[in-house]
Amino acid sequence: MAETIIEIQNLTKRYGDLTALDDLTLSVEEGAVVGFIGPNGAGKTTTMRILTTLLRPTCGKAWLAGHEVTAEPRAVRSVIGYMPDFFGVYEDMKVWEYLDFFAACYDIPLPARRRMTDDLLALVDLSGKKEAFVEGLSRGMKQRLCLARTLAHDPRILILDEPASGLDPRARIEMRELLRELKQMGKTIFFSSHILSEVADICTSIAILEAGQLVAYGNLEQMRKQLYAQREVVVRVLGELAPVGAFLLHQDGVGATVSAPAGDLPPGTIRFAFTGDDEALSRLLRAMIAADLPVVSFVEESGDLEDLFLQATKGIVR
Amino acid sequence: MSEAAVEQRRRFWKTFENPVTVKELRSRMRGRRAFVVLTIYLLVMSGLIALLYTLFAAASAQPYGPQRREAGRAVFAAVLGIQVLLVAFITPAFTAGAISGEKERQTYNLLRTTLLPARALVSGKLFSALAYIFLLLLAAVPLQSIAFLLGGVSPIELIISELLIFVSAVVFALLGLFFSSLMRSTLAASVTTFASSLLLTMGLPAAVMIVVPLLTVLFAGAIDPLVELSLIYTALILASTNLPATLILSEMFLIQEDALFYFRDVIAGQNVIIVSPWMLYIVLYSLMALFLYLATVQRVRRIPR
Repeated sequence: MAETIIEIQNLTKRYGDLTALDDLTLSVEEGAVVGFIGPNGAGKTTTMRILTTLLRPTCGKAWLAGHEVTAEPRAVRSVIGYMPDFFGVYEDMKVWEYLDFFAACYDIPLPARRRMTDDLLALVDLSGKKEAFVEGLSRGMKQRLCLARTLAHDPRILILDEPASGLDPRARIEMRELLRELKQMGKTIFFSSHILSEVADICTSIAILEAGQLVAYGNLEQMRKQLYAQREVVVRVLGELAPVGAFLLHQDGVGATVSAPAGDLPPGTIRFAFTGDDEALSRLLRAMIAADLPVVSFVEESGDLEDLFLQATKGIVR
Repeated sequence: MSEAAVEQRRRFWKTFENPVTVKELRSRMRGRRAFVVLTIYLLVMSGLIALLYTLFAAASAQPYGPQRREAGRAVFAAVLGIQVLLVAFITPAFTAGAISGEKERQTYNLLRTTLLPARALVSGKLFSALAYIFLLLLAAVPLQSIAFLLGGVSPIELIISELLIFVSAVVFALLGLFFSSLMRSTLAASVTTFASSLLLTMGLPAAVMIVVPLLTVLFAGAIDPLVELSLIYTALILASTNLPATLILSEMFLIQEDALFYFRDVIAGQNVIIVSPWMLYIVLYSLMALFLYLATVQRVRRIPR
């Protein structure tokens, strides 16, 4: 079992009367890619600022690689690479100078810095821009350069606040590929994003935050179980729908049914709510076959991340 | 060489290896700005010296006109005057935006999440600003040496004045850094820094001019040597908080009393020692520099609640 690398316990941050973060508790295993999602003002950036030692929590504690953020900030900084949502770059520096400067800030000796700069530029596909001035880079290139900067000291954890915000589609795809590569390198990535498809694509687990509270956490499958009290099943049959509907109504765990053409369902299909585990669902399918119902397909509808997000959040804005 | 010795040597040299200094100097000296500022500064100084020399040359041709040595003193005073303005108003301009600029540029948090200690960030910014100021001061030395050709100025006057300029540069640079760490915007930091510089260079002499005559009137007729000595030292300490006043008074001590460090005087029959203001100035400003440095480091180190 992988080691817990991020441990957050009852983390709370208040600004006067406003509670930006309310009793957040969660833990992340080493090597996981956690998508941190939630509406604006949900407390994502506040959490990240606390984890990166930039902000003190009002109460609660957080440990990164075993180091407590308020008691051992220097130790925490040595294991994290942080990319904020809005960041600046030193425009009057060359690309290699920028990386060399930050590597020196991480106490990396000069000979190692030279080699590391080349490796990082190759990783983020900026080798050709080594001697260019930072001000001449595009937004996507600056974003990649900033990501390379976070890797200068080979951190175990990457905390990235909206790494793909403001990027064009190509740059966004490139960033996603880069995150995949980092995942393969074994880095633990904790990142926030508004682009849900992107989060679903690369994350091993997802944390949904709203009004400072964690409303759901886990992998997509666990979250579905957590958020949906009932499962939705769609069955396509040959011929009349009425006997199928009547049969289902008398089965255990079956709730409301909707038959085509209602509910925008294609012809010959019927959708029903089901409460029960996989065993129970399998028994129901066997019963339908035994009852000689002409079943063509029997599919459980799985909501995507957008559905889950809408289900989990209530649109609370503070 | 043993491994321990190599490690010790590496640690020793590492204290001089400040990435912030390297980055700042690289950025400052890159491009035309540094060259243009240096050229303008030297042109202004040369123009002033040429003007002074021409005026003195014309006046010395007249009967009872000034002597060559007076021209030398005037050149020395003019260069020093420009250097005073440079350290009091240009030095803080270099540092007032040093930390607030990082906040405005949104690079401050990037730096604060690295392993760079707060003291390295502050000293890096300080050394890079001072390095450029000292370059400007050093570049003026050939012009200042014209005073020696004309005479009237002793090497000890040059050494003391440059020492005072050096200490002042450190303090004014730290003043800018302190306000820069305190404020979020460079504009606010610059305004506060300039107001403080103005207070130190202009406001305190004004206060001295009001307080000293007032004290003289209040204690008129007092013959207690302790009161008189206290008054003299109060005036000396007040004067020693100000660079121009310290330079002028130290020069007066040197010329009138032939006192480099101190002189003895008899007050109400008591033998007392009067210390030259430049020494008091160096002590006061060194303490101020230490306080400003520690306060700035503390401010940078602080994690907001």
